Amino acid sequence: MSILTIKDISKRFPGTLALDRVSTFFESGKVNALIGKNGSGKSTLVKIINGAQPATSGEIYLDDERMEFSHPDEAIGKGIATVYQELSLISGMSVAENLFLGRFPMKGKFIDWKKTYDMTEKLLKGMKIDIDAKEKIYNLSMWQCQMIEIAKAMSTDPKVILLDEPTSSLSKAETEILFDLIKELKKKDVIIIYITHRLQELWEVADTCTILRDGVLVGKVDMKDTSKKQILGMMFGEVEVQRRPEDLVHEDRVVLSVRNLTMGKKVKDVSFDLYKGEVLGIAGMLGSGRTELLRAIFGIDKYDEGEIIFDGKAVKRPTPQKMKEMGMGLTPEDRKHEGLIQIASIRDNLCVASLKRISNGLFIDKAREEEFVWNQVNRLQIKFGDIDAEVSSLSGGNQQKVVVGNWLNNQPRLMMFDEPSRGIDVNAKQQIFKIMWELSRQGISSIVVSSELEELLEVCHRIIVMRYGKITDEVIPEGTSIEGLYSICMGGE
Amino acid sequence: MGSKANRLALDKIFKKYMMEILLVIMAIILSVSAHGFFTPNNLLSIFRSMAINGVVAFGMTMVIIGGEIDLSVGSTIALSAVLTAFVSNKLAGVGVAPEFAVVIGIAVSLLTGALIGFINGFIRTRYKIPSFIITLAMLNVIYGVAAVLSNGFPITISSEWYSFIGAGQLFRGENFQGIPVPGVWLILVFIAVAIVMNRMRFGREVYAVGGNPESARLSGINVNKVKIVIMMVVQVLAAFAGIILSSQVMAGSPQFGKGYETDIISAVIIGGASLNGGIGKTRGTFIGIIFLGVILNGMTLLGVDDYVKYIVRGSIILFAVLVNTIQLQRKDNE
Repeated sequence: MSILTIKDISKRFPGTLALDRVSTFFESGKVNALIGKNGSGKSTLVKIINGAQPATSGEIYLDDERMEFSHPDEAIGKGIATVYQELSLISGMSVAENLFLGRFPMKGKFIDWKKTYDMTEKLLKGMKIDIDAKEKIYNLSMWQCQMIEIAKAMSTDPKVILLDEPTSSLSKAETEILFDLIKELKKKDVIIIYITHRLQELWEVADTCTILRDGVLVGKVDMKDTSKKQILGMMFGEVEVQRRPEDLVHEDRVVLSVRNLTMGKKVKDVSFDLYKGEVLGIAGMLGSGRTELLRAIFGIDKYDEGEIIFDGKAVKRPTPQKMKEMGMGLTPEDRKHEGLIQIASIRDNLCVASLKRISNGLFIDKAREEEFVWNQVNRLQIKFGDIDAEVSSLSGGNQQKVVVGNWLNNQPRLMMFDEPSRGIDVNAKQQIFKIMWELSRQGISSIVVSSELEELLEVCHRIIVMRYGKITDEVIPEGTSIEGLYSICMGGE
Repeated sequence: MGSKANRLALDKIFKKYMMEILLVIMAIILSVSAHGFFTPNNLLSIFRSMAINGVVAFGMTMVIIGGEIDLSVGSTIALSAVLTAFVSNKLAGVGVAPEFAVVIGIAVSLLTGALIGFINGFIRTRYKIPSFIITLAMLNVIYGVAAVLSNGFPITISSEWYSFIGAGQLFRGENFQGIPVPGVWLILVFIAVAIVMNRMRFGREVYAVGGNPESARLSGINVNKVKIVIMMVVQVLAAFAGIILSSQVMAGSPQFGKGYETDIISAVIIGGASLNGGIGKTRGTFIGIIFLGVILNGMTLLGVDDYVKYIVRGSIILFAVLVNTIQLQRKDNE
């Protein structure tokens, strides 16, 4: 039996206090859930425990030993293993090679393969994982990879294992298998810390639950005598949701109809209508198919079945180019890799989608380009030193404004925003909301995907909820609380 | 503070015009040390000697800014030279006037260039295979076709006017050898590519596609089309270079153009284009071409051994890539 004690841990980032004197403890032989909404500080706490970031103040003890690391490798040496959400396996290598990479059993100068495979088989058998040690990673499915990641973490004989949202990209059946594995881990004398977004999982797999909110420890409870309502209350506290301006109404005319859209396992039989001037939110947990739905509609990824009717016209085999010409725009989730050309200037990035509009025939009209660029700079209040500087020199919020401005320059009739507020400051966030409302007043519809539920409640006329690729519910912000919406996203009542 | 700002400004100017400054320094050194360097005739001959590589280098600039590469251009120079000769001889053989037959030969060569570029671009975009390996393979295929067509021997061209394209002189005087026509082609191609890249929508699309193909696609740019077109442009220009070269010797040989891709790509890199795509200037390539021409010409005048020239050529590429990379890394760290 061992205990990981967190004592008065604080973490200060420029401008924010991410963790404020958090004290708690985690015991071995139990699954200790750690929850909190986005920005509650749970990821920061994980990073401090596993040495990825130093704490500003406070101490961590494993039993009686003080844990202090300058590098994650040191944490692993002390018996603290982490399984991250993003898989880190090398797909061209076998299971055994991945498990013992960098620490193969040796016979002189050569790798002792027989021993490697024997050790792998023993390890997998001990955890009741039925995967061949010689199987290549690329032949495994997501949940199998996730189990191998856990096996890899366990192969170092850790005293503490941190599981960072291991189920976020798994289906329900796959999640069950993973839970069996976690229950198996409980039999070993290891402290399991389980980070999740998915509330309903807690009663299935966790014994205790530690709740953080805005960097403060709200409480630690035993699962068996806690209700969902109590936990939701602790997660969200008393927040007053901002409401959108009163004058924001949409027309009854449908601009976009999506019918029975299906794309692999990610989007299943999705149908909805969007009205002229409406701001429609899509809520759902990570991996619920929100982003994939937007990508399918915009023609970024090919869908298998279904119909998209935009402005009364059925769209056949959409591509971003075709959808742009029809009057759609999309600001992608991954601003850095999909939204911007990092090495290009702010000026150039503001006109990538509207090259046709700033051209007379084949030639660029520099005067019109200038007008387009400065229009958006003023409208979105983009702050920069030099318009010809690389866009990567801007802050996150200003970069996001450039992404939005790039599309507004094309005068869309429908904008799709995928996680528009990720990694941006409050002011930039408010400005982007204002743009959505302004568009709405002009009769331009928006679809907003966001993990921040209070944002959706603030911005949207209507919110549809996705779960495992399907639309499971639809709510209007009036009369819906954050807890309520969260609960619906989780699939609860 | 003031002097610091001045120094920074100076630093910026130096960085921006580094190649120009180096070029001037080199020219001064050569004027003093190499006899006959700084004469109108010699300077014009640099132009003539660099025209063939230079014409292709402007196409290569578009390809490299677009995030691709074409290693097969040297072979296309050979094929185009052979093909022009082959087609015009065959046509002359069935009674077409040689002056006209060669026109058809030129047209066939240029179209063949376009076709090769299309094949390169199509494989690149349809199957997502790196252009590096496609064009490396094509380098051999195209050379092979040129050798098969010509049985490995040069084919002579008999149309009189044809020599004007590669060997013509404009405004020839008593002490003046005249402006070499290939130099005129070089300038014309430079102007055309500069207009496309700086003034036209297509040029912007090339920069966007090279800078980040996924962002460009999501901004509704037809990435595949852009890539195919630039791969075609460089091949058509390579075919044109083959025509200039064959016109200089009035023959087409499969041995033409061998290894030219090195000088062509060096000129683009010296000009500041990034092999990662998205960065580069047509003007830079122009400087790169002159730079390379001056060095090669200077070495010839100084009587430097031909084999040593290879060492210098190779080193220049490495040096140029190093300077570009270090500058980019510094920028990242700022």
